[in-house]
Amino acid sequence: MQTLIEQFRKEEWSPYIAGALLGLVGILTVLLANNLLGASGAIENLAGLVGQAIAPNLFDNVYFDFVMPPGITWQVILLAGIFLGGTLGAWSSKTLKLRINDDSQWKRIFGPQIWKRWLLLFVGGVILEYGAGLAGGCTSGLAISGGMLLAPAAFLFMVGMFASGILTALIVYRKRY
Amino acid sequence: MTNTILALSLGIVFGLLLNKAGLTKYHKIVNVFRLTDLAVLKFMMTALVVAMTGLFSLRALGLVTFPNVPATYVVGNVVGGLVFGVGMALAGY
Repeated sequence: MQTLIEQFRKEEWSPYIAGALLGLVGILTVLLANNLLGASGAIENLAGLVGQAIAPNLFDNVYFDFVMPPGITWQVILLAGIFLGGTLGAWSSKTLKLRINDDSQWKRIFGPQIWKRWLLLFVGGVILEYGAGLAGGCTSGLAISGGMLLAPAAFLFMVGMFASGILTALIVYRKRY
Repeated sequence: MTNTILALSLGIVFGLLLNKAGLTKYHKIVNVFRLTDLAVLKFMMTALVVAMTGLFSLRALGLVTFPNVPATYVVGNVVGGLVFGVGMALAGY
């Protein structure tokens, strides 16, 4: 028991152990809730909620009326849980703190400026969410959840994601790749 | 209500695992694209293999019905994936 708690408190687990446990979570999600582990849709649901309150005409379209209806959906609650779980994980390994720009690799490559990190994070985030909207899911909702049901979409998405991800990293890192 | 509790608790475990696998760190995500640290890939693929084995066994036993599978529309999925990869490599999350 003591060793189990010690293992739990480690900052980093073997990716195989964490992955196997995530597989179990995926099974439970389908079994108990008949649903999938989508995360990127939550942002769209919330954006739709805010958008319809501010500019109802602009958000009265096919996408927000039928494809991604606004509201506090399954995904929004799941996302809240993910945040809590991540916090719990960091707390259990005593690494919980507010990080503004503390990734040593980032600082080595791009320098210590905070605005640079946040700008690229914001731009990257917008691109990422847009891509997820186009494809119909993100890494968790489409690649993992769709993949475990053997949806062809998931594997097409993964091909695209790694192809452009590797290319982008090559361009951004150039000689430092 | 049960659904809310389920979503919240499954989310908490999911978030905890993401944190413990190191996927909340910039260098972990970017290094998988630089092919210098494949932890993300190991994590994803183990999850996939475990989940698909479990789910398809359960379905063969008639214990589970699958929810709507994410729709396949080849161009959209691939282009979406291409755009997504750019964002992921830039942001690192």
